[in-house]
Amino acid sequence: MSSLIELGPLQLVVATLLVVAAGVISLVLRLGIGRRLAVAAVRTVIQLGLLGLILERVFALRHPVVIVGILVLMTIFAAREAASRTTKGYRGIMLDAWLAMAVSCFAVGGVVTQMVVGVEPWYEPQYVIPLIGMILGNSLTGIALGLDRFLDHLSTRHAEIELRLAYGASRREALAAPLQDAVRTGMVPIINAMAAAGIVSLPGMMTGQILAGAPPLQAVAYQIVVMFMIAAAVAGGAMLVVLLAGRHFMGADAVLRLDRLGTTK
Amino acid sequence: MAPFLSAGPFSARNGEGRELFSRVTIDVDEKELVMLDGPSGSGKSTLLRQLVGMVPTSDVTRVLAAETYSGLQLPLWRSKVTLVAQDAPMLAGTVGENLGFPFSQRCGCDRKGDPQRRAELLEAVGLGSIPGDREIGTLSGGERHRLALVRGLLWNPPVLIVDEPLSGLDEDAAVSCFELLVDFAHCTGHALLCVLHDRALGAKADRRIDLVGNHGESPP
Repeated sequence: MSSLIELGPLQLVVATLLVVAAGVISLVLRLGIGRRLAVAAVRTVIQLGLLGLILERVFALRHPVVIVGILVLMTIFAAREAASRTTKGYRGIMLDAWLAMAVSCFAVGGVVTQMVVGVEPWYEPQYVIPLIGMILGNSLTGIALGLDRFLDHLSTRHAEIELRLAYGASRREALAAPLQDAVRTGMVPIINAMAAAGIVSLPGMMTGQILAGAPPLQAVAYQIVVMFMIAAAVAGGAMLVVLLAGRHFMGADAVLRLDRLGTTK
Repeated sequence: MAPFLSAGPFSARNGEGRELFSRVTIDVDEKELVMLDGPSGSGKSTLLRQLVGMVPTSDVTRVLAAETYSGLQLPLWRSKVTLVAQDAPMLAGTVGENLGFPFSQRCGCDRKGDPQRRAELLEAVGLGSIPGDREIGTLSGGERHRLALVRGLLWNPPVLIVDEPLSGLDEDAAVSCFELLVDFAHCTGHALLCVLHDRALGAKADRRIDLVGNHGESPP
């Protein structure tokens, strides 16, 4: 088994030549994206550099309060991002997105880190942070897609919802169709990813583990766990966020409050 | 004697804040066909939607057959005082799904849509040959309106609230559809409130409620 080959500053300088080559292509072809490429490259270095520094500190501290604090902060950023991706909005969308994100991620993350992987101690940052981070990144997409679809359904197909209500539908019955529609939409990316895994694409985490010297079968085992936990988190998160949003647009009296739907946030 | 259906008081303003109607109470007797009249823009549809609780209302009392329905009982109220809305909304799906869905909801699961009655009604409105698996999207506007009417009559609630059910229908079809509504309204345990554009047919109503428009007046 080969161990990890460390990358030093010299190696990174060599790698920089590659992005410079991309820039040269952009200049030669007059793509007009040279500036954006440069900015993006610099952002990559700064953002990942900062992340690396923070993670080094956190891994060294190994304090449960710090770890949990970082995880909560990550959910807040993810919720903000998810809420900002929908075209329509409403008051309280951030809170709903955050609640759905936090509950689904901590529930699924808890099962994976504590029961599947069996991390010791329970907050071991080397496992907890990357695993929860992956759940967040993916359930963010699921929650944003599901929420966007739900709000779109409310605004474009409200006549169907009111038709069900007119014949005595309860809130649950009236919102069942938009809920299905939204959760289905939110789950499409992870289902596609699972179906294509290993054939069309080599999943990033697995690739990383193999590069780091892990036996391929071990890397595969982890990747399977990751795929499944993302599927659970996306399904749970999308369902939860739509249930929360649904309560916002329809109270127990089952009156559809489209006036609470805004196009701007 | 207390009326069969009594609901109100309802008030509404239009988008600009002008008062459409204020503290209107709707009373309908059993076996009565009442026509809600008023100039266009006077808020007839709004009043019907408030009556069935499709839009938020406050401090409104809704009574049917001496039973009062609270805000939390609105789904039950709507299953008994059922709105056949303007423009004949339909679920995406087939004709059969659109006629049958109310009976699969909790408020209707103790009842069954009678297949024979369904065939009779479809026949009566001139849709007798329409297959149940026909996609809704392939229907014409007139066919949709007739189907919406059949759905309401098949559901057979104590009170039907019908908002312009005859739009898009030719004269013969309008007359036969209206006769179905009259028959429904005059049955024991039933009543009907409707908005109609057709004056001649509207004259056959048992009673008219005039929603007087306040055009041009500024809000108090």
